[in-house]
Amino acid sequence: MPRFRSLRARITFFFVILLITLQGVLMVLVTASGERIAKNRVADELLVGERIFHRLLDQGTRQLSDAARLLASDFGFRTAIATRDFDTIVSVLGNHGARIDASVVMLSDLDGKLLADTLHAKRHNTPFPFPALVDAARRDGKAAAIVLIDGMPYQIVVVPVLAPVPIAWVAMGFVMDDRVALDLQAVGKLHVSFMSIGADGKWAMHASTLPPASRASMIAHPPAGLANDRLFAVDLGGDSLQTLAPVIGASAEGKVVAVLQRSLREGMEPFDRLRTILLALALASVVLSVVGSVLVARQVTRPVKRLADVASRIRDGNYGSRAEVGQQDEIGELAASFNHMLDAISERESQILRLAYEDTLTGLPNRAMFQDRVRQALLTARRAAGPATVMLLDVDRFKLINEGLGHAAGDLVLREIGARLRGLLRESDTVARLGNDEFAILLPTGSTERADRVARRVLTVLEAPVMVDGQPVDVSVGIGIACYTAHDDDGDALLRHADVALYAAKRHNAGYVVYNPAYEQGRQTHLSLLGELRRAVEGNELSIHYQPKVDLQTGECAKAEALVRWIHPERGFIPPIDFIPFAEQTGYIKQVTRWVIEHTFHQVGQWHRDGLDVMVSVNISTRDLVGADLPELVAKQLAVNDLPPALICLEITESGVMDDPARALETLERLHALGLQLSVDDFGTGYSSLAYLKKLPVQEIKIDRSFVKDMVTNADDAVIVRSTIELGHNMGLKVVAEGVEDAAGLTLLRELGCDMVQGYVFSKPLPLPQFVKWLDDHNRRLVLRPDEAAVPA
Amino acid sequence: MMRRLPSKAMRPIRAMAATMSIAIGLPVHAATVTVSVGTASGGLGQAIIYAIPTGGTAPRQAPRAAIVDQINKEFVPFVVPVQTGASVTFPNRDNIRHHVYSFSPAKVFDLKLYSGVAAKPVIFDKPGPVALGCNIHDWMVGYVYVVDTPWFAKTDQAGAATLELPGGEYEFWAWHPWQNAETAPQRVRIDAAGGSKVAFRVDITTPKQPRAPQ
Repeated sequence: MPRFRSLRARITFFFVILLITLQGVLMVLVTASGERIAKNRVADELLVGERIFHRLLDQGTRQLSDAARLLASDFGFRTAIATRDFDTIVSVLGNHGARIDASVVMLSDLDGKLLADTLHAKRHNTPFPFPALVDAARRDGKAAAIVLIDGMPYQIVVVPVLAPVPIAWVAMGFVMDDRVALDLQAVGKLHVSFMSIGADGKWAMHASTLPPASRASMIAHPPAGLANDRLFAVDLGGDSLQTLAPVIGASAEGKVVAVLQRSLREGMEPFDRLRTILLALALASVVLSVVGSVLVARQVTRPVKRLADVASRIRDGNYGSRAEVGQQDEIGELAASFNHMLDAISERESQILRLAYEDTLTGLPNRAMFQDRVRQALLTARRAAGPATVMLLDVDRFKLINEGLGHAAGDLVLREIGARLRGLLRESDTVARLGNDEFAILLPTGSTERADRVARRVLTVLEAPVMVDGQPVDVSVGIGIACYTAHDDDGDALLRHADVALYAAKRHNAGYVVYNPAYEQGRQTHLSLLGELRRAVEGNELSIHYQPKVDLQTGECAKAEALVRWIHPERGFIPPIDFIPFAEQTGYIKQVTRWVIEHTFHQVGQWHRDGLDVMVSVNISTRDLVGADLPELVAKQLAVNDLPPALICLEITESGVMDDPARALETLERLHALGLQLSVDDFGTGYSSLAYLKKLPVQEIKIDRSFVKDMVTNADDAVIVRSTIELGHNMGLKVVAEGVEDAAGLTLLRELGCDMVQGYVFSKPLPLPQFVKWLDDHNRRLVLRPDEAAVPA
Repeated sequence: MMRRLPSKAMRPIRAMAATMSIAIGLPVHAATVTVSVGTASGGLGQAIIYAIPTGGTAPRQAPRAAIVDQINKEFVPFVVPVQTGASVTFPNRDNIRHHVYSFSPAKVFDLKLYSGVAAKPVIFDKPGPVALGCNIHDWMVGYVYVVDTPWFAKTDQAGAATLELPGGEYEFWAWHPWQNAETAPQRVRIDAAGGSKVAFRVDITTPKQPRAPQ
């Protein structure tokens, strides 16, 4: 089957082929059975025709014999014969022959001599040409035969003239010419020919209803079936003639044959007519079916085409056009479903758009939309050479709110902030929530002055606490402001500038800061630091300083904290605060920790082999805690340096544990299993629960220096320190105080029962040689003046 | 059967001469001659036999008249032998009309006969067979056989007939209407003492004559 692209063509093609096939089969059946029926019918007609023909011959014989008998019994005729009155005889013969339209009448005497012959007047006294007929008539009273006279077939009857015994023989006959053939044809509806074959085997045709050409053909090529009592076919003039050719007269001179023929074509005529009608019907039905199936197919395909058009418009994002629901049928249902789908798609798309450009929590535009608006605003500003301002806001300590009060509270706070920001801005301004606790404001035509005003109003409006479950929660934000200038080529730059300003504001706790290109430099310093830090770790620019931890009970110093120091080849000393947080942010802290562990462990191992056992604390960052490879590293370094684990303490920050408590706990458990000491650094600054703290396998807590620093003058801090010490002791932990700077603090801590002290009161962190010397001096002094042991020099 | 051969045409003349001679010397003693006629299957009735003296003619004597009735649309008798010059009457015994005719060369005549009406007798003056027909009833056939001798007879059902003849030599003839061919005459010397026998074999074909409608 050829491939049709369109449904309409396929439907049409299918039905037309189906119809043509059916009609074709019908035609073949009709033709085949028509031919068979026609042949049978023609054969039947021939047989019937033959019977009719013989009946007609018999009738002729009867007519002839009746007429001949009438003649023979005429008294005058007999008188004429008896008296040999030939003129009378001939006239009577003619008279009687004319009565039945006989073609020939003859009279023979008893000796077989012609007395008269209406055909040949001069044959008087010649022998009667058919003596066999006379013999038969003598035997049977009459005789009949088809004979040839002058080359024409005649139906002849011979009867005696009785007076009352035979005195002569009368022969009377009809010629069998074209007229007779035509009469027979009229009765029998057959073609009738009279042919004869002579003793020489030559055929002659005497009469026929056939057209001249067919006659000639029959004589020229006499069919083999002639003179045979069987049916056969003769092809004449493009027609097949079913033929029956019985012998009707035989004598020594030859045979006379009646050729009865029926045209197969004529027999087929009714079927040909039927076939013509069928063909016309077939053509009409094919045309109708083509038209019909095209129409039906169009009813199907047109709406489908329309649906396809609608679908392609939908593809182009045009949801305005709808499928036409014209019909009540399946196509109509399809169109209706199509429209429902269309509605659903358009609704879902707008939802997706909303999700894509809206912050679901606050209902404010999100980062993507904000960036888009910034781009738009900058295009306008550039054209109008007017101002445009972007403000970034970051909620201070939002993480604490989230962790302390729960995420629901955090969300509520963010929604409230969003609503307040929105409330104080113009409609044309954009307030967006960019991320976690980060908001942004776009003042499309705002100058620096207006930004200044807005920033102050933002700070004012946020002064009122946000009520969470009836509890007031104070919120504050840092604001970075960047104004569009001709230098800013795009919105991203403007946002980055605002980000830089925000960073500065946060860092200086300054409320809001307007961007100044000078801030960029510090920021770029950070960036270059990463590369330099990498170089420092690899190139031994780092070193470790040790700060002693003194036992308040004994005054002894057997512990120290290892602190990393970076001496930059060009910039000199870089304080940890300038690169540690940065390293923590970038993840490079792991490499730093590894470096510190390797070097510290090596040193402690060295001391141990030299007989000096100093327990050294190493700071572990949050990232180290949640990473999986720290315990492995520690175990390996212990082994490499042949170091007793008891000489190593790892300090972790409280907030570091709280970032991912489960992972941290797992890591701590593994470290504890190695036999190391674990200590919680900066204790008191986080929000960890005591229940959780109890689970940690730590042996020591360190009170943050911010509490220790002012405890002598600030009663609150003193309370915190005391409580912390008691708490630690109650939990079975050693308590270390950091940042102890003077003797008063030292005295207070001793009174409070603090176990260990670390701070400038004893020593700042010292490079290795100085630390070894300090340790040596301190412990020697302790031996010499044990009562002053706990008092620094 | 109506063939007239040239030789036979002469016969009546000769027969007439013979009759004349016999008539002159009328015999005192007559001998009875038994003649039989048969076919292959037995005796043949209705055959006419007659004798003609070889030495001269038969004696002339007045021929006896004969009657051929038409009874029940048949000629009765079927065959009647008569001497030349005999008159034959054809009385119509039926109550219908008959039209008796003959086209035989020996005597051509026709009589329109009405029932009960006396017909004129017909004189048969020439020897030979005369076939009788009725123009109204085609099946009616009868024969009058005219002989030129006083010695003739018709065989009975057994095919036998007797002739009373004076002694002498005779030519015996036999004829039957259905005979296939003319029967050859037999020369026989008749002893005056009698006891002479003549036998003929005649083959016949029963003709398919029209029969009376049933």
